[in-house]
Amino acid sequence: MKKYFILFLIVATIKTKAQELFVVTEPASNMPTGAIGVRAMNSFMYKADGSLNFHVMPEIMWGASAKWMFHLQSYLSNRAAGGLYNEGGSVYTKYRFFSTDDLHKHTRAAFYARYSLNRADIHQEEIETMGHNTGYELGVVATELINKVAISTSVSFEQALDNKPNYKYPITQSNNATNYTLSFGKLMYPKQYTGGLKQTNINLMCEFLGQTLNKNGRSYLDIVPSVQFIIRSQARLDVAYRQQLYSAMARTAPNGFIIKLEYTFFNVR
Amino acid sequence: MKKAIFVLQIILFSLVANAQITKVEIIATGLTCSMCSNAINKQLKTLTEVEKVDIDLNKNLFVVTLKPNNSLTPKAFRDKVEKAGFFIGSMVLNINYTNQAIENNKKIDNYIFIDTKAQTINGATKVKVLDKGYVTAKEFKTLEKTYAKYQTFAKKNEGLFHLKTI
Repeated sequence: MKKYFILFLIVATIKTKAQELFVVTEPASNMPTGAIGVRAMNSFMYKADGSLNFHVMPEIMWGASAKWMFHLQSYLSNRAAGGLYNEGGSVYTKYRFFSTDDLHKHTRAAFYARYSLNRADIHQEEIETMGHNTGYELGVVATELINKVAISTSVSFEQALDNKPNYKYPITQSNNATNYTLSFGKLMYPKQYTGGLKQTNINLMCEFLGQTLNKNGRSYLDIVPSVQFIIRSQARLDVAYRQQLYSAMARTAPNGFIIKLEYTFFNVR
Repeated sequence: MKKAIFVLQIILFSLVANAQITKVEIIATGLTCSMCSNAINKQLKTLTEVEKVDIDLNKNLFVVTLKPNNSLTPKAFRDKVEKAGFFIGSMVLNINYTNQAIENNKKIDNYIFIDTKAQTINGATKVKVLDKGYVTAKEFKTLEKTYAKYQTFAKKNEGLFHLKTI
């Protein structure tokens, strides 16, 4: 456990950013133009035997314009013997194609795509191109902000490929899936801003994540409640717990804690 | 006598240098959290002619104080807010005028005062920008109808700003 704590501290020093700020899903809004965000998502997921799978996903994000943004992400995990192992990485892009704003309010929609490479063994039926499978994901997300409440929903298609060089995708499993998410977030503190940009904001969130494997119809549904601290309007700390509500597919370690850190460097380029 | 005043106004008008914006009050739309406000704040501060930005987070109000002898136009601020990922809900300019004669639908530099009585303005004057992109989408729909008779307003020329004194 001490090992993880030290690792967490190391990761904590790599800092990270965002806008509708959900923990496990991306909103339709983008980062400001020219901003660079650094993020580290740490997952501590429990396996059936009680042991822990630890994943660190350092990520760098760039707001290319008000409409386009790009992410580069790396996937490390302790699943292989011999400590932390870099299993792969991904590129992600999001394009905001719709935006209508009013005072304290907006409706936005975006397309997104991710391409991932992963060389770890394929150990579950769940398809997850963020850290488990080589493959791609294509999706659309819509986000509505009304005063202090944000609601976001997405639908995506996810295709798993072989985890090269050593692991072919099992022919007995469905190699593609439909994902759907629904996220709620609420600004809880402050009720009224009194401390300017330095005042810490606290958000409470609840997210639902679902997947259906297209070839056999098996599904899962997870709930992820979280608390989020926005520090000095520039950094973010999220603490979440992911809990499986239902599953008809084999999953290695669906439940556990997520700690996410994020820091934004504005106007880098 | 009227003619004399008119001539005087013309002379005064020719003496007036470009009307300079001293301060801009921007209300941004589409945001609630302070991180979003900070994104706008940081964008506005990239303008070298900006002296400081004061923010009212509860109102999403950004009061931008400009350096003397700046050459900034409303477009510069709009671009910055949009680059941050948001939009302008309202923009009020503080302009310093020296005995400036204005009349309805008359162009002065890049500005056209509309819905305005003929008058001479002097000193710090607050004016609201009425063009598309400088008011909420909802408000512009109303304004577009109200000001349909002003041809330049309907044309939505990006370099020309329609103002109303407030």
